[in-house]
Amino acid sequence: MSQGKRVTESCLVYTADAPEGVSEATQQALAPFDPEWSEHPVHGGYPGCRVHRSKWAEAMAALKEQAGFEMLVDHTATDYPDREPERFTVLGLVMNVDTQERVMMRTRVAEGDSVPTVSHIWKSADWSERETFDMFGIPFEGHPDLTRIYMPQDFDGWPLRRDFPMQGHNRFRD
Amino acid sequence: MPAASGDIQTVQTEELMQVSASTEASLLLTTVQALANWSRKHSMWPLPLGLSCCGIEFMATAASRYDMARFGMEVARFSPRQADLLLVAGTLTYKMASVMTRLYDQMAEPKWVVSMGACASSGGMYRSYPVVQGIDEFVPVDFYISGCPPRPDNVLNTLIKLQGKIDKERDYELRLDTPSAPEGQNVEEVAVLPGKRHGPPIALATDDERFVEQGPQKLIERGRKPEEGRA
Ligand code: SF4
Repeated sequence: MSQGKRVTESCLVYTADAPEGVSEATQQALAPFDPEWSEHPVHGGYPGCRVHRSKWAEAMAALKEQAGFEMLVDHTATDYPDREPERFTVLGLVMNVDTQERVMMRTRVAEGDSVPTVSHIWKSADWSERETFDMFGIPFEGHPDLTRIYMPQDFDGWPLRRDFPMQGHNRFRD
Repeated sequence: MPAASGDIQTVQTEELMQVSASTEASLLLTTVQALANWSRKHSMWPLPLGLSCCGIEFMATAASRYDMARFGMEVARFSPRQADLLLVAGTLTYKMASVMTRLYDQMAEPKWVVSMGACASSGGMYRSYPVVQGIDEFVPVDFYISGCPPRPDNVLNTLIKLQGKIDKERDYELRLDTPSAPEGQNVEEVAVLPGKRHGPPIALATDDERFVEQGPQKLIERGRKPEEGRA
């Protein structure tokens, strides 16, 4: 029951070549994982990189170990309810603290499919993935304790999905 | 058939004696009640449940500029066992609601509840999935304070009104028999129900499952449809 225009696709354009500002080390670390690169058109800030979800954890591990991305700045998801077949995009913004380089990692996932966890790579991903699970209902495979983190355990529904009602509460609907 | 005059005499005397006994009893009761009310209203210890911005306003009410202590309420108790007044100040989420009902259940009778601010009274501007749309879904409320946040003088005004309400309370009664219980409940159960002076409790449960059962039911009882404006 989303309101207004439904966004069915992100406006990113993906290319095989890395955009400006991505270091050699990053490109090399990600090369084995068939990366698709994008420039962020709005903020212009972070170059994006999309990998297949089966390679998600390996790509993230390579970024940390080979390219020095020691910090997971952000981890969330976006929902394009009409996009077929993969409705969600899981995002992880990673940062190299020494060079101040950032890359926005993306992977697409269909409803019901799971994404490999990165909580063994960055400890902070533990709670972030629980949050993403809590809000979008995307399961993370291999996560040590994948339970709801904000909402009560018996809560019904995934609040940040676009088809979640804008007002009211699931428990008051028949 | 007219009764014998002696019989009438006897009946009248008995009636008179009963009336006079109950009058004496009620005089005594009224006096004791008045004393109890006086002491209750001047030693009202609040349990401030400061959940968000309204909590700050309550602190201002308690601090020296407005000074709740002038009315005998300065002893804010953070233990429900020692508190008389549950002052819910702020945005109550469903996750916190079980904590609130547990605190309420733990408070000793007599107890009162004040819902402070738009959020506690109606959900306020948070008309969304995590926020309870009015704490009266879970506990019986004596007074609602409007405002976002209410000014401290408004809070004080309400607390003084609450004192007036306590003053008028007449819950002492002469009981020579065992109190009768509503059908299907035994006497002890009735006696320990929270909010028993306000009718049946709104929610006793402190686990979420019972909320799920009772929330929509309460709405229906208040003449609101569960889906009204909520879908
Ligand atoms: S009523 Fe206003 S001031 Fe009070 S808790 Fe809600 S938003 Fe904050």
